[in-house]
Amino acid sequence: MEFLMITAFFLAIPSIISFLIKLIDQWRNHGNCYILHYECFKPSDDRKVNTEFSGNIIKKNKNLGIEEYRFLLRAMVSSGIGEETYAPRNVILGKEESPTLLDGIYEMEEFFYDTLDKLFHRTGVSPSEIDILVVNVSMFSPEPSLAARIINRYKMREDIKVFNISGMGCSASLISIDIVQNIFKSYKKAFAVVVTSESIGPNWYSGNEKSMILVNCLFRSGGCSILLTNNPTLRNRAIFRLKCLVRTHLGANDEAYECAVQKEDGLGRPGFHLSKDLPRAATKAFFENLSVLAPKILPLKDLVQYIVSGSGKGRGEKNRTGPTVKLKNGIDHFCLHTGGKAVINGVGKSLGLTEYDLEPARMTLHRFGNTSASSLWYVLGYMEAKKRLRKGDKVLMISFGAGFKCNSCVWEVMRDLEDENVWRESISSYPPKNLVNPYMEKYGWLMEEDAHETLPRV
Amino acid sequence: MPPTLPNFSNSVKLKYVKRGYQCLVNHLLTFLLIPLMAGILLEVLRVGPEEILNLWSSLQFDLVHVLCSVFLIVIIATIYFMSRPRPIYLVDYSCFKPPYTCRVPFSTFMEHSKLINKDNPKSIEFQMRILERSGLGEETCLPPAIHYIPPTPTMEAARTEAELVIFSAIDNLFNKTGIKAKDIDILVVNCSLFSPTPSLSAMVVNKYKMRSNVRSFNLSGMGCSAGLLSVDLARDLLQVHPNSFALVVSTEIITPNYYRGNNRAMLLPNCLFRMGCAAILLSNRRKDSWRAKYRLVHLVRTHKGADDKAYRCVYEEEDPQGKVGISLSKDLMAIAGEALKSNITTIGPLVLPASEQLLFLFTLIGRKLLDPKRKPYIPDFKQAFDHFCIHAGGRAVIDELQKNLQLSAEHVEASRMALHRFGNTSSSSLWYELAYIEAKGRMKKGDRVWQIAFGSGFKCNSAVWKCNRTIKVPTDSPWLDCIDRYPVHIPEIVKL
Repeated sequence: MEFLMITAFFLAIPSIISFLIKLIDQWRNHGNCYILHYECFKPSDDRKVNTEFSGNIIKKNKNLGIEEYRFLLRAMVSSGIGEETYAPRNVILGKEESPTLLDGIYEMEEFFYDTLDKLFHRTGVSPSEIDILVVNVSMFSPEPSLAARIINRYKMREDIKVFNISGMGCSASLISIDIVQNIFKSYKKAFAVVVTSESIGPNWYSGNEKSMILVNCLFRSGGCSILLTNNPTLRNRAIFRLKCLVRTHLGANDEAYECAVQKEDGLGRPGFHLSKDLPRAATKAFFENLSVLAPKILPLKDLVQYIVSGSGKGRGEKNRTGPTVKLKNGIDHFCLHTGGKAVINGVGKSLGLTEYDLEPARMTLHRFGNTSASSLWYVLGYMEAKKRLRKGDKVLMISFGAGFKCNSCVWEVMRDLEDENVWRESISSYPPKNLVNPYMEKYGWLMEEDAHETLPRV
Repeated sequence: MPPTLPNFSNSVKLKYVKRGYQCLVNHLLTFLLIPLMAGILLEVLRVGPEEILNLWSSLQFDLVHVLCSVFLIVIIATIYFMSRPRPIYLVDYSCFKPPYTCRVPFSTFMEHSKLINKDNPKSIEFQMRILERSGLGEETCLPPAIHYIPPTPTMEAARTEAELVIFSAIDNLFNKTGIKAKDIDILVVNCSLFSPTPSLSAMVVNKYKMRSNVRSFNLSGMGCSAGLLSVDLARDLLQVHPNSFALVVSTEIITPNYYRGNNRAMLLPNCLFRMGCAAILLSNRRKDSWRAKYRLVHLVRTHKGADDKAYRCVYEEEDPQGKVGISLSKDLMAIAGEALKSNITTIGPLVLPASEQLLFLFTLIGRKLLDPKRKPYIPDFKQAFDHFCIHAGGRAVIDELQKNLQLSAEHVEASRMALHRFGNTSSSSLWYELAYIEAKGRMKKGDRVWQIAFGSGFKCNSAVWKCNRTIKVPTDSPWLDCIDRYPVHIPEIVKL
């Protein structure tokens, strides 16, 4: 009898121990979100536009007078956007004013198939292994969804979890990562693909409302596909691990909500309106986001300093620029949304960043323009191509979007990265000696200050 | 010679055999345990009480032993309870009741079509024939912008419609549940055909001044099954964030999608889609279990996008004149049937009682090994569910599903009546149907409801809810003023 008990006891112990070990292991690797690979889109060279080309397109718009033309050219020349950015095919062919549904679809398909083919090829993961698919394209949403289009093309499985996010602005890429991160916590050993882009072709504004014509000139074509997994056995192949993700939504504030709105102008022409309050809303959203993010990433000493300086400055000051946060002690690299030169400068100033820190964002803005939601990934690609990312480094991504939202996340680099990816042909020429637009002299007359003209800083 | 009546005695015997079989298999465990328990009891009686007492006192109860075993039991119990998925409760939901001013009886619709499409009598005739057979009633509603001659589908008008339907539904929901907007942690809005920037979810956050850390999502382009997709997303998020409320808003904005051309496949949606919206409050807080109406048991998603025909079934495209519309292919019924079959094979094992599953398995084996020509056994889903909510996509869809699942008229009554009263409100139709069942006072505690939705892509999503408490006839419901008139008999063809 006793003998039986002892043997039973000894058999039970190892099984209990292994069970507990499995549980602890699960708890430790619980919901880890790894990036296996990401692929940014480089459109073909026949889609390149430079300032001159853009200038000619604006000239074609009969509704714009000389003042608007001058305003736009000035904006483009001082925007920090270079001469090799890409535009949608229908705009290049001169059909920007009458886009068809098919134009929009082809624009998206060209991007999907190129990046997804490369993504699956590079990682060796088959499309039928994908469990989660999240697509975000803000300004174009046909039926069946773009996500369904991808599923059809790649013959993905029937039980795939698919989400098609739309209307969420330039910060939607991190919202998609948020969805994936949350689902990863409930499902084991899953693969997820996030496809992020923006549709420009069908959204050309053909009117002359000042707040709406700017958008035509600033957005450029681009996109990114990312493969993620939470499978701990693929840890050695992973390149990034998600540490935290913070979302801030300022929609409750009417001013913030109205600052970037898609609407019709007085004559019923649809366009995207950017108000003059945009920088202020962005700053507010940014600081609110930081106040949640900072405790998660700063070491204790800097945290205390931040709280003390923050409470000091916040008391009854009219021009509240906010406390400068030395995030540099917790973060090694900064991926800023390339919304425009003013955005990059503003964020850089608030965080106390050097030119070295801001270089990836500036160069991305120069080489690819404002590609909306996918811009963060081009900035990341630049850092990787410049061999800046070493194992253990922390990368902070910050993006802003209509609504008004500010989303940020922190990635930990899993191993030394050296892939030149989408920057392969251009990285050797970056950073260029000067970023001044070559048309500055040609259009020098633009730079003469005009008394009654106020540009929203972009 | 008079035709002989078929031999009923055989089928009657079979019915009882089947009943007996079901009883046996479903309670198999009980049937096995009873003889075991009887055996133990007999043994105990035989051995006698003194022997048992001796056995008890001979066991050495060391303090260490007792503590260890208690500790172990506690650990295992905790781990077990913590590893179970959180329950997802549907606290309440509310459906938008369109105002009478938006009503579109057949006569209005036909007159309107004639006025805006003067040059195409064939299209008008086609629309009339569709309406006659559609199963819609005279009280369905279209948004104000569509009533104009010609319709004014501006973005402004679409936003107005969105504000009208969404805010009414959410206001109603907040009143019913007593929660405040600041309590919402997760917000998912789905609207297939209208997705402005900032999104409809941002519009909701702005109107109700929700918190800045609300997790909002805006799903678009996902068709009539997007309502259950949103519930799925909310469920996954609620598993990760404890003590949270999720607000799911399902709607379809009709204003921008009125088709003005002549392609027949694209005229169909004009005749069928109507204004509607549903707002649903989900929670994973255990203290809501007393007031929640339903608990989510299963949710299964099936995506047939890999099949080209299924993918092209509901397709937005331009007609030869450049007008954008949604074309519904002729294969819609067949594809819906296929998608449903896939969905059923996944959900069947989760919900069907063991007896049905075994029968299905045996007939499957029989077909594979012995006789491929034998008809496949369709499991009896009436055993697993008490109520059915089938997406009111159109009369044909409901007919087809009734046939496929072998349901009676009463089971599909909710779907047919929702189609009649509200039309095809796309992703929110399931909630109107659920409201019908509640308004009829048929929902009792423990009842299981099966919601099935189809959508472009081609997707088939289904959800199983279990009724948490007997629901008294609600005092506010979109059916309040007309429930006494229902059910109505809907003729095959309504002569116009």
